[in-house]
Amino acid sequence: MTFWDKMQKVDRRILYVILVVFVCTGLFIPVKIPVEPDPSSKDFYATVMAIPEGSTVLVQTDWTNSTRGESMGHFENLMRLLMSKKLKFVFYSAADPVAPQVARTVITRINAERKADGLYVYQIGKDYLDLGYFANAEATNTNMGTDLRQAWANRTSKVPEGGEIDIFKTDVLKDIRKIGDCKMMVVVTASASIDIAIQRLANKVPITAMVTGVTGPGVLPFYQSGQVKGIAIGLKGVYDTEYLMANGINIKDGEAKPKVTWAKNSSVDKVAEGKTFARGNQYYGTLHVALVLLILAVILGNVGMFMSRRAARKGGE
Amino acid sequence: MNPQTFAIIKISAGVLATIGLYSVLYKETKFYRFWEHLFLGLAAGYGVVAAWKDTLYTDWWVYTFGTAATPTAPATPGHWIWAALLPIGIMGYMVFSKKHNWMSKIPIGIILGLWSGQQVQIWWQTWGPQVYSSMQPIIPTTFSPMARPSTLEVANGQVQTIADSAQLANVQQQLANNLYPTQALTNLIFVVTFISAFSYFIFSFELKNKLMLGVNKLGRWMLMVGFGAIFGSTVMARFALVIDRMSFIVNEWVQTLTQRV
Repeated sequence: MTFWDKMQKVDRRILYVILVVFVCTGLFIPVKIPVEPDPSSKDFYATVMAIPEGSTVLVQTDWTNSTRGESMGHFENLMRLLMSKKLKFVFYSAADPVAPQVARTVITRINAERKADGLYVYQIGKDYLDLGYFANAEATNTNMGTDLRQAWANRTSKVPEGGEIDIFKTDVLKDIRKIGDCKMMVVVTASASIDIAIQRLANKVPITAMVTGVTGPGVLPFYQSGQVKGIAIGLKGVYDTEYLMANGINIKDGEAKPKVTWAKNSSVDKVAEGKTFARGNQYYGTLHVALVLLILAVILGNVGMFMSRRAARKGGE
Repeated sequence: MNPQTFAIIKISAGVLATIGLYSVLYKETKFYRFWEHLFLGLAAGYGVVAAWKDTLYTDWWVYTFGTAATPTAPATPGHWIWAALLPIGIMGYMVFSKKHNWMSKIPIGIILGLWSGQQVQIWWQTWGPQVYSSMQPIIPTTFSPMARPSTLEVANGQVQTIADSAQLANVQQQLANNLYPTQALTNLIFVVTFISAFSYFIFSFELKNKLMLGVNKLGRWMLMVGFGAIFGSTVMARFALVIDRMSFIVNEWVQTLTQRV
């Protein structure tokens, strides 16, 4: 058996161990990789940054720990963005009963991060609302489009003063009569729940999305047609958002040229407060390590196959 | 229990579950099965509680029985007609009975009817804007300049929209009236991709014409490129999951333990 034959028959478990070792090593070396954010990510960022301070945004969070690698980075960035822009938000899930709890954990962590930085801490019932889980995304989104107040009737929220009150009496929703009164709806998802939201609500409220790499290609046609105003896709989208939060768009900042340029729009500010580079920065470099490993494995596998076949042919002759 | 001790127990259970579930890569063992069943059990249990707390209670129980007054909220009346939904819902579970499973067709029929009624509107809202945005002009109306003029300018070291309103209006007028060669080329690439990919799905008659066969083959290539991009995106997504799990163990768990020490 030649060296190349042995390479063809490497136990897959050895490959897994190599992958784990490389990934763990990569996590210790966070590198700020210069990128050109995707146009869809720029549109997402510009859309959020254009919302007037104090407005209310709907956040449909349909992800759980099964896609934490991408979706948690998306949700953390979204929270940092909304809080730095002082936007009020309502979050709920129309896809998974566990999703609201995962979102609560992230909000608690981002609030702790802001508290440590001496920034304002978001309060439930005053700055944001937690509506929990709605079974059946189709019916939920249809009802929201028809009559938001009816769709969310009977929901109460804790308030900072103590006790619970009707959600439409809170600062977050008191001026909201219909879904169009909300400035934007963001769907953070790992599934087709974004399709359902677009089908039922795209003509009633501007929709943006933060989706996984698997879901992303299916959502891009909706972005091309303008049904979705902006999308952050996969881990690249997480890093793009962090990069845009740190550098803004068309902001020269004393340098010869802006780090992010965009002919479509005038300048969009970077975020005014809080953390910018976070999970995306930590994972994006590691992703490159894993991808290099994958490419090497593909090249080695193909070379090995080619050499083995050549050796077999020579042996046959 | 000390909150920090609880945090360590919680995160350590997560690490053990991660290792347990990833152990399937080595071999499917009872250790893996245990964690898989635990995961499914927890998810199912959580689902039942959430279904009651977030859906049935707020959207059915409160409507039916109303609520008592609290210091911050007044009492709300109940409406007994909502109780009629209970037997209809229970009929759905008759699917498990051989004798009475016909009853399950009633709630299923109601759901299907409601769903079907939405589909015409849904279809148009999904595809209408995409059909409209696929109609792209491909013949340039001007060759001077070749590229689309910009509405931006650099002023005070920053990139911004042209400040002179007359100049901005002039540029916007030009943009509205003209299709520039670079735009036309972009549109042409889109239209060729769109038509060729669609032509691949002509199965109603045999294609013999050389031109049609060529377009069909181009469509196949375009689809392959699309599938390749989707596959690449999926691979990155899967790597992201591994990276996050490793980060959970290496960063979050180790960090929690070292904080304790």
